[in-house]
Amino acid sequence: MRHPSEFDLALLAGGELPPWTRWRLTSHLRRCPSCQAAVEGFRQAREWTRTRASQMPAEVSWNRLAIEMKANIRLGLEAGECVGPATVEPVRHPWRVAAALASITVVAFSGWLLQLPAPNLGQAREQAGIVLEATASGIGLKENGRELTLLHQPADQVTLSVGVEGSLRARYVDRETGQVTIHHVFAQ
Amino acid sequence: MSLRNNIATLVVASALAAPWGGSAQQTPSRAGEPRSSVKVAFPADSPLTVVSADWGESRTSARGGALVLDLQTSLLLRNAGQRHVRGVILLVQAQEVTPGGKASVAAPSLDVKPGETFPIKVDLRLLLPLQAVGAAPVEVALDGVLFDDLTFYGPNRLDSRRLMTAWELEARRDRQHMKGLLAAGGAPALQRALLDSLARQAQRPVMGVQLARGGRATNLPGEREVQFSFLRFPDAPVEPLAGSARLALNEARAPQLDVRNRSGRAIRYLEIGWLLKDRFGREFLAGSVPAKVELAPGASSRILQESSLRFPDRPGQPLVIESMTGFVSHVEFADGAVWIPPRAALADPRLLGALAPSPEEQRLTELYRRKGLQTVVDELKKF
Repeated sequence: MRHPSEFDLALLAGGELPPWTRWRLTSHLRRCPSCQAAVEGFRQAREWTRTRASQMPAEVSWNRLAIEMKANIRLGLEAGECVGPATVEPVRHPWRVAAALASITVVAFSGWLLQLPAPNLGQAREQAGIVLEATASGIGLKENGRELTLLHQPADQVTLSVGVEGSLRARYVDRETGQVTIHHVFAQ
Repeated sequence: MSLRNNIATLVVASALAAPWGGSAQQTPSRAGEPRSSVKVAFPADSPLTVVSADWGESRTSARGGALVLDLQTSLLLRNAGQRHVRGVILLVQAQEVTPGGKASVAAPSLDVKPGETFPIKVDLRLLLPLQAVGAAPVEVALDGVLFDDLTFYGPNRLDSRRLMTAWELEARRDRQHMKGLLAAGGAPALQRALLDSLARQAQRPVMGVQLARGGRATNLPGEREVQFSFLRFPDAPVEPLAGSARLALNEARAPQLDVRNRSGRAIRYLEIGWLLKDRFGREFLAGSVPAKVELAPGASSRILQESSLRFPDRPGQPLVIESMTGFVSHVEFADGAVWIPPRAALADPRLLGALAPSPEEQRLTELYRRKGLQTVVDELKKF
């Protein structure tokens, strides 16, 4: 059996393949456990990165960090520290208008493409696993980009517990009713 | 208990005609009508009836190529039976959205007298592609009701009977414990216990977690097999013999446990609590390893689970799991009776710090925090 390249599998995991190539690879994945595992690995790596990115402290400003790093490279640390958010009045160039128009055209074209009939979602559903996840606002099921989340108030003192057979439970006392409420999500 | 097949169905179309924005507006024909709906289905002979359903501030919004439905549902239920209701579990399904999963909302620690009403809130969010918007994506159904005599009504598709029986036994155990404190040491003794419990709840580490089922084709970098140590309760019907799981940084997976039935009764279900300790010595409850078993008296069995648990790091606090401990948290015998650890067993300092209080203890401590000691004393006198 000829396997797709890792490059293509990574793009598939990120949902970035064109429809025909995606269909071809998903057909292959149905018959190939090793490629399924590779795609799952890429998906997990993507989730891992997203999780880490979402956990950056609120006070960290990426823009400022980027400016400082750039300045550090060019000017040295002390000078870099002096560089804060951009305060220089930007110079206006006519070519920016053209670039903006080109960007709008690309966005409009992408929007049109997104309205085309979607590929068969049922095929993808068979391959992707279901993930249970707890977040600050609730516990949920994720499957093929679809989600069902049972919500609680972020301020509630929530007790979480996991059943490794594939279940996740969140318990809290509802502030309005005073009742204990237990949310439970299960992977079947 | 038999259930009639004819289901009285109350279909309530939620008034989700909120204005759609973004791309949703551009594809009304593909997405169907700009509204969603919830189906609430209770059996005709149910001891609980739906008095009203309120969809409050439910709304829809577009997020890229997906539709987000925020459903804020409040059901008002009436106890139409003759016994006090102690707990309810509602099954929540969205077959069009997550066909591989289901959810439930439970209200334990109730005391609803015949004829009384009580609310249950079902707040949920659905995220689905615009193309997949159906007519009734969410179905809310009754899965079980537990009464004060421990009898049960319902289809029990989620093992609600066992769950609610365990919660009710824990509630009785903890109410008994608090009544004992009240009788022996008066209100100050009860107050001290409530304050201790609140302090433990505040200090208990709260971990985010992600659970993935199924085996992994490859090992994680640095992954190693680690043996369980066990907390043993003298009167537990199940004895854990040995066990291991694979640990790598902030991920624990594939636990396997050998257990023996040391009781004189057949066992059909058990749960092993799973404590993890990180390299800073912080111990927290990772979850439980449940298993449906057929364990005759004296027989042994091996429990295997292929799931992975991943605990996200906190900023500046990378989590590295070092060791783990197991304990028997819950056993169901073949005749439906349930065993839970006695209060004395939970006094172990490691369990006290890591275990969550029972639902009833959580409710009573919250009652104390909001309304004071006398309210808790009055509550304990009710039953």
